[in-house]
Amino acid sequence: MLLKRQIPLMIVIGVGLLTLFGNFINNEAIRGFVDNDATQWFDIIASFAIFLGALNMLKLQLIKIIKKQKNWQYSILAVAGFAFAIFAGFFYRGANFITISGVQEGKIAIVSEIIAEEVDDTNPYDIETKIMSSQDEYEIDKLFMTEGNAKLFMKKLTPHAEGVSLKAKPWGAHVQTKGSLFYWMFINMITPLSATMFALLAFFVASASYRAFRIRNFEATLLLVAGIILMLGRVPIGNLIPWWAVSIMIMFGIGAIAAPFIKERTILLGIVGGGIFIFIVSGTLMGWNQTPPALLSIPIIQDWIFAFPAMAGSRALMIGIALGIVATSFRIIIGLDKSVLGG
Amino acid sequence: MNNKVIMWSVLFLILLGLYIMGEGMIFIEGARVKFAAILIVSITIYYYIDRARSGEEIYLRTIPGLKALEEAVGRATEMGKSVLFVPGISDLDQVETITGLNILGHVAEHTAKYEASLNVPVSKSIVMEAGRDICREAYLKAGRPDLYSDDMVHYLTDDQFAYAAGVNGIMIREKPAACFYLGKFYAESLILAETGNSIGAIQIAGTGSMAQIPFFVTACDYTLIGEEFFTASAYLSKKPELLGSIKGQDIVKLLVMATMVLTVVLNGLFQAGWISFDILSYL
Repeated sequence: MLLKRQIPLMIVIGVGLLTLFGNFINNEAIRGFVDNDATQWFDIIASFAIFLGALNMLKLQLIKIIKKQKNWQYSILAVAGFAFAIFAGFFYRGANFITISGVQEGKIAIVSEIIAEEVDDTNPYDIETKIMSSQDEYEIDKLFMTEGNAKLFMKKLTPHAEGVSLKAKPWGAHVQTKGSLFYWMFINMITPLSATMFALLAFFVASASYRAFRIRNFEATLLLVAGIILMLGRVPIGNLIPWWAVSIMIMFGIGAIAAPFIKERTILLGIVGGGIFIFIVSGTLMGWNQTPPALLSIPIIQDWIFAFPAMAGSRALMIGIALGIVATSFRIIIGLDKSVLGG
Repeated sequence: MNNKVIMWSVLFLILLGLYIMGEGMIFIEGARVKFAAILIVSITIYYYIDRARSGEEIYLRTIPGLKALEEAVGRATEMGKSVLFVPGISDLDQVETITGLNILGHVAEHTAKYEASLNVPVSKSIVMEAGRDICREAYLKAGRPDLYSDDMVHYLTDDQFAYAAGVNGIMIREKPAACFYLGKFYAESLILAETGNSIGAIQIAGTGSMAQIPFFVTACDYTLIGEEFFTASAYLSKKPELLGSIKGQDIVKLLVMATMVLTVVLNGLFQAGWISFDILSYL
């Protein structure tokens, strides 16, 4: 109990108080701990903990395959993907590159052309200049995934240069280097798959909006009206909508909002129709065709909705959330809320 | 005036005085208001915790989303399907994740009681370990440690959309009857909630991520909005000291509102040239 509860709790309280009051204490060491060390400690612990997660994932998927549980075939893909990522990260580096030195006088142009052809550079003179200006050796601006491909290319250069050597980017850096297997996997597999998942959002937003707008109550109608205005205001066509069309939309909006409260449909029709008529006639008489009022511009209405009602609502929420976070943190720091240590 | 109020007020003044005296030497300069605000918030919350401990009854309004937790687990049990709990994609350094895990404890207690199967896919290893501890404890508390298995809290991946794809896969294949999304969420919130909606699961969500709240409101049956989410552990545990902290939090909110109004009024008077005191230079 002491090791599982009391000591962790004391660590939580101690570190919590130190982090909180460390912001006010004029001491470099404490401030350094609060600003850098504490977060780095967390990162280090989290990095080690990843092994636990990875092993757990692997264990569950392997059990699924061995016991041929339902949908076990998908687990083969998960294990294969895991193994491939490990292989690309720790065992197969790729990112090979070639350096040349001691290019024979008069053969620089030939070498430059060979390199330009390989790296798809249309201007071999640039390469020629770079070779001539390189002090020791020139690194060819191309990374090869396999040593075989690199060696094939080296064969073309060997007759013209004294030193042609094959090198590779260092381990660790290779994961972010173009031409490594890991980078290839990231760009060609992980990125498109993530983008696909993200793209699904567009369809989900459409279906969620449809459901939200379909509900027939006052709030949903308000949401619908605000949503339409925001959508129109954010696209170029919103700017082209004339004042009379906006007036009609406003009257329809008012009608939609008033509809749940007015049972008699003819009265509602009268209000909406009358409103549209009054709007258009008075607008024409007041010369809105030449100088339309800013209030009847969709982008301006959209800006207003965004800057005032939406902002006020979101700030109210934000204050509530912030206070909730403060109170929860306080409960944890004073050791009142121990649930995080296991209930 | 209550003796305790006087005592806490004196303590506040002493601490603030000490801070002002030590400014520049022990304490940093220019953070006086921030320090005072932290003291006020802490003292107010602690004062109400103390009052609740001494037996004062604290009223908490009904939160439908939290009331529906047991109902959702019961529904899953009746249908013979599993319960899915998603604690978000952030690590344990986020208060939302901690709050989500607190609620997981209560959900796990219900699944243990009803003998429903619980599935908790996580995206961070530390959350997995904490989640396991919480579930183990909950099953023990419910008197059913035999039903607990470490594998009910399992790791999927750290990557945001890979995690979303993994959870979606679980939803589509296992068709859980109840889905809980309680934690910190980003763009994956709607992907998860809409998929849960499409399989007909009863869905309860809660998050402190401002941008994701509308998505959850649209796609879920119940949503714990903002502070409701953070009151969950107090609401569900019914422990007086935790309930007291909720009341303290509400009083702080009242103080914040009063400060905002006062600031607006004082700033208005200053702008009009009626007073020479500029409140904004203090904040």
